[in-house]
Amino acid sequence: MNNQEQKSIKERILEKIETGQVKMRPKIYFLLKTMLIVGGIFLISGFIIFLISFIHFHLRITGLWYLPSFGFRGLGIYFRLLPWFLILISLILILILEILAKRFSFVWRRPIFYSLLAIILISLVGGFIINKTPFHSRLFFQARQGKLPLMAPAYRQFGMPKFEDVHRGIVEKLTENGFLLRKTDDELLKIILTPDTQFPFGKEIKIDDSVVVIGKRDDNTVRAFGIRKIDDQFRTFEYRLPNPQMK
Amino acid sequence: MGENTSQKKDEEIVSLIQSGKIEFFDILIERYEAKIKRYSRKFLSDHEDINDVLQNIFIKAYKNIQSFNTKRKFSSWFYRIAHNELVNALKKKSKNPLPLFNLDTFLPQYFYDKNNLEQDLSQQQMREIVNKCLDKLEPKYKEPIILYYFENLSYQEIADILEIPISTVGIRIKRAKEKMKKFIKKFKKNYE
Repeated sequence: MNNQEQKSIKERILEKIETGQVKMRPKIYFLLKTMLIVGGIFLISGFIIFLISFIHFHLRITGLWYLPSFGFRGLGIYFRLLPWFLILISLILILILEILAKRFSFVWRRPIFYSLLAIILISLVGGFIINKTPFHSRLFFQARQGKLPLMAPAYRQFGMPKFEDVHRGIVEKLTENGFLLRKTDDELLKIILTPDTQFPFGKEIKIDDSVVVIGKRDDNTVRAFGIRKIDDQFRTFEYRLPNPQMK
Repeated sequence: MGENTSQKKDEEIVSLIQSGKIEFFDILIERYEAKIKRYSRKFLSDHEDINDVLQNIFIKAYKNIQSFNTKRKFSSWFYRIAHNELVNALKKKSKNPLPLFNLDTFLPQYFYDKNNLEQDLSQQQMREIVNKCLDKLEPKYKEPIILYYFENLSYQEIADILEIPISTVGIRIKRAKEKMKKFIKKFKKNYE
């Protein structure tokens, strides 16, 4: 047996402490660590709220938000076109937030279900509150004007996606068999109404109405499967659209 | 060192160490070495492994002692370090590792233990039975049972060590008892 083995555990530990091989971490280390975790929690919470409000904004501006009112076909398109990538990122961030929050006793003393529910509720409420403000509309408008270098690609990609069967815009002109629709990206679509076209919220369509149309596009023409007028309270971002007549 | 240090509470000793009197750390080693060795033996069998884990636990406790809040119970904080070290040691051995996440911490649970396993049994008899059944239990049931019967800790202390809700501790101990009861019945049948 060598010397090291003969020594008791107590002696070995005390020797390491006395010779400085093992050092006590200062109080400031733990304070900074806690501050870093709390900071991380706030930062991730903020980003989750931003993402959820952005997803909500995307659903509204593209018209996806209103698709479930068109029945099974609308629901099918809705689930197919949901921004799954953003939803996945939000879920991953919620899990990271839960892991960070579990470092605090007031979180782990209760079942995970409660803390997870609280995180999800706070994120959803926060996201919807932001969407009651013109926050995203302003950023979207700036992105369209090329004033938002970092965020512009995201706003352009999610604000003006090229969907084949969902079209959101403003009625610009009434025609014999339908109307002309000015989309968010300024593209003009010819909408054709058929006897089968569904109007879940009223048939009366006027110039300047904000509408969502579902139906497959063929070049610049869409045979409408369904049309829904949208409430004015969701139109904040449209007021900032450049007037097509002034172009 | 003062004359009556042996009468001082753990938390008072820690307070002295935190203020720079590091020589008091050996009192903590004296108080906890046997307990933690006994606790580690329930998970590890190799003598060397146990000593390594034991040393790491004390070194980690010393390194992080400034993070301990002296208004709390030192034993729970110390056993938490021991738990983490054992989780790491078992993970390295990849032999029955203690799980990091369990579904039973997810949903709220209410427990009422009407198990009469302890009825008519002395504490010593109960420990002997538990000792015989320990290897039959999954790690997530094994740990709270060890802390409850062998370390004599309360449900609240066990919850603080494992960082799980107190109701989950109750549920795990109740389920462990049910499993042990089944094992004892089977054992008796085979014996008869």
